[in-house]
This record gives sequence, structure tokens and C-alpha cells, in this order.
Amino acid sequence: MIDTSIKVLVVDDMSTMRRIVKNVLKQIGFSDIMEAENGQDGLTKLKAGGFGLVVSDWNMPVMQGIELLRAVRADPDLKSLPFLMVTAEAQKENIIEAVQAGVSNYVVKPFTAEALQEKLEKIFAKVQAGK
Amino acid sequence: MLVDRGFDDSTEQSMTGEEAEKDSTIYAELAELTKYVEMMTKTIRDMETPVASTSDQLPQATKHLSDLAKLTEEGTHKVLTITEEMERQREKMIKEVSALKVQLSGDQAMALDALLEQLKADEQRLTNIHVALSFQDLVAQRVAKLVTILNEVQHKLLKLVVVFGLQQKMMGKDKHGEGRAYEMLKQLEASKTTALEQNLVDDILSEFGCA
Repeated sequence: MIDTSIKVLVVDDMSTMRRIVKNVLKQIGFSDIMEAENGQDGLTKLKAGGFGLVVSDWNMPVMQGIELLRAVRADPDLKSLPFLMVTAEAQKENIIEAVQAGVSNYVVKPFTAEALQEKLEKIFAKVQAGK
Repeated sequence: MLVDRGFDDSTEQSMTGEEAEKDSTIYAELAELTKYVEMMTKTIRDMETPVASTSDQLPQATKHLSDLAKLTEEGTHKVLTITEEMERQREKMIKEVSALKVQLSGDQAMALDALLEQLKADEQRLTNIHVALSFQDLVAQRVAKLVTILNEVQHKLLKLVVVFGLQQKMMGKDKHGEGRAYEMLKQLEASKTTALEQNLVDDILSEFGCA
């Protein structure tokens, strides 16, 4: 069961992708959604607190998604935050790298709304099981 | 004495013959080398114009690609705005139809149920349109890679233009421009990791009469 009451941060350098992901998240039921245009911007917003999920692209300027993921996992206050990577970087080594860095799940672009929902369900099932 | 002179003369004549033969060989080799240098100079001259012309066209190609990414981004935002408006209208209609349905019964209520089903199905269709628009992100990423590659090619061609230009300058035409060109080339090298600045490229091309 997806907890749609949480605040979500969508991190992507492309404004179109942020808008698309936001719309899909709204369709799933989320209403509290914020945006960041790179990893650095995202990390600043996450540190301000209150977020329950991160949906991030990989390939971004300033700070890449994988660096944001590592920074999140290294931060005692953020380390357990669910982190979904939505990216066109679909090489095996990318996925392994993300998994080793502690990604919660990984969606490859172009994606479907169903795929995004399915991954979120898996993430929240793990969160529930961990409680 | 006569014998000695005769010996000396024949030795001198023999030495002169060897030297003449060596000289002849050297002249032949020099002539060959001169031909080769002339041929290479001609080849370089022939290449200069197409290389300079290509260097001139590449910024335009890069700009077209960047414009393409911008246009797809703008188009995607327009479609998103329209679909978001449709989504708001759809939600409004669901509320209004649901309110109307409460006041009706029988066939009329059933007809509104069918309409509500259609409106709910449209939600998925609108979401599918949103998701399909993610093609723009993939296009933009590929265009960004192409722009990087073109900038790299342009940088290498500019190096050739600078080298060819310097050959002309060394003939004593413009000593001042030589130093500037090197400085610009160094700046270009430094900017390799960032986006190539168009004004810098244009200055270099202009410096060597290629703009």
C-alpha cells in the first residue's frame, strides 16, 4: 500500500520530465510534490526535512543522481529515505552502481505509469516490512 | 717529379669525380625532397579551404541541434499544459456529473454512470499522454551528446585552421595576430571541459579570415 500522504521530491534537470513525473505521481494519489533541478538543489531541499520519498534522474549537471543517492545514504537523518532512480542510464554497471550505493528501486526511461506505480508499491512494501 | 705530378693529378681527378658523383646524388635527393615539400604544401593549401569552411559551418549545426532540443521542450510543455487543463476539466465534470446523478434515477442515472466510467477511463489516457512525452527527455539527452561531439570535432578542426593560418603568418604577413591566435587556442583548450563559447570561436575564425 502506497502512502500517498508523504512529501515527495522529484529531482531532474529537465523541466518536462519533472512535470511528467509529477503528473504521474498525482495520478497515483500523491499531492505534496516538490521539485529540484539537480542533485545539489535536491540535497539542500532534503536537508530542510519533511520528505518521505525521492524520485531522481541520474544524469544531471552540478550533482548527479548517483552522488545525491550517496549523499543521502551518508546522512544520518536521511539514510533510510526511499530513493527511486528514474533514468535513461540503463547499463548494467549503472544499475549495479546504484544498487551498491543503496538505491531503493530503478525505473528506466521511457517508463509507463504502471511501471512507476509498481516500483513505488515495492518500495513501500519494504518500508512497511521494515517497521 | 713528373711521375709525382702525374700521380697527384690523377688522384685529384679521381677525387673530383667521386665528389661530383656525391654532389649529383645530393642534388637528386634535394630535388626529390623539394618536389615532396611542394606536393605537401599544395595538399595543405587544398585542405585549408574545406577545413576552414567546415569549421565555420559546425557552430551553425550545433545551434540547429540545440534549437531542436529547445523546440521539442517547448512543444512538450505546450502539450502538458493542454493535457493538464483537460485533466482539471475532467475532474470538474466528474464532480458535476456525480452531483447530478444523485438527483436522478432509473435510465437517466445509468446513463450518467456510463458517462462517469468514460471520464474515469480518460484519466488513464491522459496519464499515458504525459508518460509518452518523456521521449523529449531522451531526445534532449541524445542531442546534448551530439552537441558535445560536434564541439570536439570543431575544436580539432580549429586547431588545423590555426596551424594552416600560422604557416601563412610565418611568411611575414601578421606577427600580432599570431600571438592572439595562440592565446585564443589556449582559451579554447581551457574551455574544452565546458561549453564552447561561440564568440571565442567566431573570433578565431575571423582572425584567420575564415569567419
